[in-house]
Amino acid sequence: MIKIKNFSYAPGEHEAEAASNSYLMSLIAIIVGLPLPIVNLIATLIFYLGNRKSTYFVRWHCTQALLAQLSMLFINSYTFWWTISIIFKGEPITSNYIAFLIVVIIFNLTEFITTIYTAIQTRKGIHVEWWFYGALSNIICKENS
Amino acid sequence: MDAQKVDMFIMSNGKFFESHHINDIRERLIALDESKWAILSTTQFKDPTTTIIVSLLAGGLGIDRFMIGDTGLGVGKLLTCGGMGIWTIIDWFMIQKATREKNMQKIQQFL
Repeated sequence: MIKIKNFSYAPGEHEAEAASNSYLMSLIAIIVGLPLPIVNLIATLIFYLGNRKSTYFVRWHCTQALLAQLSMLFINSYTFWWTISIIFKGEPITSNYIAFLIVVIIFNLTEFITTIYTAIQTRKGIHVEWWFYGALSNIICKENS
Repeated sequence: MDAQKVDMFIMSNGKFFESHHINDIRERLIALDESKWAILSTTQFKDPTTTIIVSLLAGGLGIDRFMIGDTGLGVGKLLTCGGMGIWTIIDWFMIQKATREKNMQKIQQFL
């Protein structure tokens, strides 16, 4: 799921700090924005835009953090509105809902723990690539852009 | 410029700049004319530590942005109550970098 890889150059102290901050900031935004699932995405997107002229290491990790938050948006929004309809419209709590809720909780917990781990490693200058998101970040984020 | 002078400048002012810019600054300062030293040594740079403290305490009012010279963004932040709180959180993590970049822009006037 998570792979430690060699980056094309050794990132500096402040680069590692900024890259780690992209993950940390998304965590803080999740906590502050609860239960709304959009706040963390907005925060990560603005952080990404603020760092688009930064060095490759920082941009790469901002992209990975953004992609992770983007995938969270869809699954969390669906759960949020399903829950709202149950609470306010009196729709029944079905087995499907419980199953979906368990999947969402596992997905969120995994993402949360992975983000914490990545933030810690990136702060040390270690390049961490996630499954799928890492490959996608490699395609989106180019070194010479 | 004398390498010893430049190293002294880097030692005392290194914290005001991004670590990956330091080497570039050093090389360009060495190539710089000696007459610029007086202006350079008296230039005041913004401290990233001070701005992060201001951002934590008064970030919602945009004071941190005003402090580093981003008046437009400061007004925007003030009028939107720190971007409904989201911008304030982002700036807790971004303001130090923004301060160092502002310092870089300042020193580039001499380089």
